[in-house]
Amino acid sequence: MGFFGLFGQSEEEKRATEVRAGVVAPTRSERQRCWEARDNYFACLDANNIVDALKDDKQASKACGKQSAQFEKDCASQWVTYFKKWRVQEMQKKARIKELEAQGAIKMEVSSNFTERS
Amino acid sequence: MPQPAAPMRTVINALSRAPARQCARLMSTARGSQSLRTPATQWLPKAQLRHPLDQRRTFKTVEEAKSRYRSGPFSWKAGILFVLTGGGLLYYFEREKERMQAKRIADSQKGVGAPKVGGPFQLINQDGKTVTEQDLQGRYSLVYFGFTHCPDICPEELDKMARMFDVVQAERPDGLLPVFVTCDPARDGPKELKEYLAEFHPSFIGLTGTYDQIKAMCKAYRVYFSTPSQVKPGQDYLVDHSIYFYLMDPEGDFVEALGRQHSPDQAAKIILGHMKEWKGPLKNN
Repeated sequence: MGFFGLFGQSEEEKRATEVRAGVVAPTRSERQRCWEARDNYFACLDANNIVDALKDDKQASKACGKQSAQFEKDCASQWVTYFKKWRVQEMQKKARIKELEAQGAIKMEVSSNFTERS
Repeated sequence: MPQPAAPMRTVINALSRAPARQCARLMSTARGSQSLRTPATQWLPKAQLRHPLDQRRTFKTVEEAKSRYRSGPFSWKAGILFVLTGGGLLYYFEREKERMQAKRIADSQKGVGAPKVGGPFQLINQDGKTVTEQDLQGRYSLVYFGFTHCPDICPEELDKMARMFDVVQAERPDGLLPVFVTCDPARDGPKELKEYLAEFHPSFIGLTGTYDQIKAMCKAYRVYFSTPSQVKPGQDYLVDHSIYFYLMDPEGDFVEALGRQHSPDQAAKIILGHMKEWKGPLKNN
């Protein structure tokens, strides 16, 4: 801490706290850092066969405590929850697509304009 | 029925004779060319090389004449001409197809029963200046809704939008206005928008307003968004919202929605296609 110890927090730490609390929106580099921490954390969850880090909270913090701490340090807490939920949905989606493909389903290109189909 | 029988027979006779005659002709030409080839290439002196059937050409060497006989009318020149013509036609038809497709989509949004997307609004930009639908007219505009605290989709989409804009800009300078409208007016004021958008593209126009103004704007563009209810002051939250780019024409009418399935370059191509079709007035400054 040194010099900054006298004033409580350094500018950098203050900013990080604000980002975590969602007071300010993260910048591009802050977003990048958060995404990297997220990917690290998810890689650890993958390695430990944990899908839902919210449900299997104890297991996740035991196996990936270090990565989880970094993830929570670099991302807004709302984002942490969002990404954990997103992971579960994404994995369900992938599993479902795999299942459908195994059944011989055909991928459909969805059009985004509102014209009538001819 | 004795009347038609006689002509019928003559027709049949003629038909049965025809192949035989054709065959005979074929054989004679085959024999003819065979007999011609040998003397022409091997024994005749240069001057006599010119064959009555091929008087337009003169061959300098025996080898040239030989290869001319072997390849018939297919020379490398003919090949190149064929490829060029074919390629040209293919290009033309593909372009025409794309043009018609763009026109069809644009027209279908203009007619009766087309979705009414867009309309009048009054918001402020990142510099605090009032912006209305009038300010967007005279140019195409690409409208995207999002919020600065967005975790992953908006930043990705805004990077895409920047790329799209650059591609369009290169071909049609000042033909397109890239517009970002916040769905989170409580936190995204002009200052926040300015800082946020500067990191994506200096030309982006950020729009914000009061909660009611934004609600009206989202309703006009058929954008779904939901801010969680009962948010305490200072508490963080995420906003759920639609993630389409809305392409609006210079009169403020909706043209097409571009989604996540389009790559930036594909989307830019679609936009440029619509721009080429535009016959109405445009702003030049």
